[in-house]
Amino acid sequence: MIKHLIVGVRHGLGLHVPHRSLLILPDDIFLVSFPKSGNTWTRFLLANLRFPDQPATWANINRLIPDPTVTTKRDFDQMPRPRIIKSHECFDPRYPRVVYIVRDPRDVVVSQYHYHRKIRKIEDDSPMEKFVTRFLAGETCPHGSWGQNVSTWLTTSEGNPRFLLLRYEDLVADTARELAKVVAFLDLSAGPERIAQAVERSSADRMRQLEKRQPDKNELMKGSRKDLSFVRAAGSGGWRSDLPAPMVARIEAAWGSLMQHLGYELSSQTPAEEETGSQVSGVRSQENLTARFS
Amino acid sequence: MLGQLKFAVKYVLGRDQAGNHFTVFPDDTFLVSYPKSGNTWVRFLLANLIYPNETVGFANINRLLPAPGVLSRRFLRKLPRPRILKSHEPFDVRFRKVIYLVRDPRDVAVSEYHFDLKKRYIEPDVTLEQFVKRFIKGETSPYGSWWEHAASWIAARQGNPAFLLVRYEDLLSDPIGETGKIAEFLGIQAGPDRLEAAVQRSSADQMRKLEKQQADQWTGTKNTRKEIPFVRAAKSGGWKETLPAHSVEEIEIAWAPLLNFLGYPLQTRELDSHTIPAWVKTGQPL
Repeated sequence: MIKHLIVGVRHGLGLHVPHRSLLILPDDIFLVSFPKSGNTWTRFLLANLRFPDQPATWANINRLIPDPTVTTKRDFDQMPRPRIIKSHECFDPRYPRVVYIVRDPRDVVVSQYHYHRKIRKIEDDSPMEKFVTRFLAGETCPHGSWGQNVSTWLTTSEGNPRFLLLRYEDLVADTARELAKVVAFLDLSAGPERIAQAVERSSADRMRQLEKRQPDKNELMKGSRKDLSFVRAAGSGGWRSDLPAPMVARIEAAWGSLMQHLGYELSSQTPAEEETGSQVSGVRSQENLTARFS
Repeated sequence: MLGQLKFAVKYVLGRDQAGNHFTVFPDDTFLVSYPKSGNTWVRFLLANLIYPNETVGFANINRLLPAPGVLSRRFLRKLPRPRILKSHEPFDVRFRKVIYLVRDPRDVAVSEYHFDLKKRYIEPDVTLEQFVKRFIKGETSPYGSWWEHAASWIAARQGNPAFLLVRYEDLLSDPIGETGKIAEFLGIQAGPDRLEAAVQRSSADQMRKLEKQQADQWTGTKNTRKEIPFVRAAKSGGWKETLPAHSVEEIEIAWAPLLNFLGYPLQTRELDSHTIPAWVKTGQPL
């Protein structure tokens, strides 16, 4: 009862974390991805782009690009609009505008494995094979499996002018070019200089430096192992050396056609590929699934 | 501020309306559909099946087969488990076991149009043709468009043993057989007699009779235009007579791949080959 009372008072004062009850405003922008797909990096990029006077840090990022599972309702209410909000949720029709980041699931699984070591969810000697099994079943996080998260967004929203799909790999390859797409999508007024500054301020090196100085300033790593860093390789294709071939094959068997649709080349001949005959290669050449947005 | 305080007090007491912010248990089953797809009918079918000794009606359906959206979190928490709950949510990862009821969107559009008139959600002078344009964009419902709804569930779950896809049309043509499938999915032992009794007690005629008596005792029909019934035609294919040809074409052009996948024949022949690519159905956990 006392606990309930405290919760109630916090609600009254707006000090609670809104979670799913967040009141979504018509001009809100959501930065969505499956976990470990570059969401935090993109948050830094967008924060540095949108608030050039307040360089993003681990201490202020939850106020600049708020997270409904961490940031309080009061902070949400006091933010300048339009708000850019972080999310890992599967498709939600209430989100008015969405920037969706997708990453090769073979890299995502490796990244999540190391993150779970850092936050002490698994031991150092925990077998990767077991982790891959849980990853495929969507049991390593509360946001569905990689395939569910990505496919619920793509089937419903691909081609919609209110939906921007970015690949983490493209962000790594040419950050400024991809960020310029976000600027155009969000109608932000930011020239090449401001984009370059945002890229610079969000570099992996700078994020690592900040992490060393502020290791407990963010709930993503509070109380976690300090011998492992949150900002890890910050690259793409690491799975080629870190993920054993049988596990690569299992991921490709599960999600091969979806991966191909996104332009992620498969290393094995998968059943999915044979089943569908002509597969679309790469996102850019893909027709919309339906004509409903035209 | 006063509103916030009121909410805080309600929250402390667990009396606030749950909406979709309630606690989901791992053994819950959800009866999910886009609105106007036969959800209330199936709630009656299931309630009659599970509680053969109750007189199921509009007055007690929210208690027998609860809708979290209109009930308090406290009520929901105290329900005996495993719970069966009604929902209109698009894909929700927390819902592990799901009966997904789908209906031809051309009929859904007509049904929703009449329902929105009944509820006074739209002005009496809005035409069906105008309505369909907004329906396709998902502007007539807080749950997204019909496509977004069905596609999100199918992409995430089709093929999963804890996901049962039921077509409203099949339920109409073989109510006993389809109700039997649902009973089996729920692990309910029900012989032909019990299935038939449930179907009879949930017939459109029976529901119309109950609606006349209890329309003001149910959230779905309270304070609505009484000259428009909630239980309307209760059939399939009505769109062929009432939906303007142009609106039919708009829906088919927008959603052909999913209509074909679900086996709803198109009038626009050249869209017959549009199908869902394989990647749409790769989202289910293995």
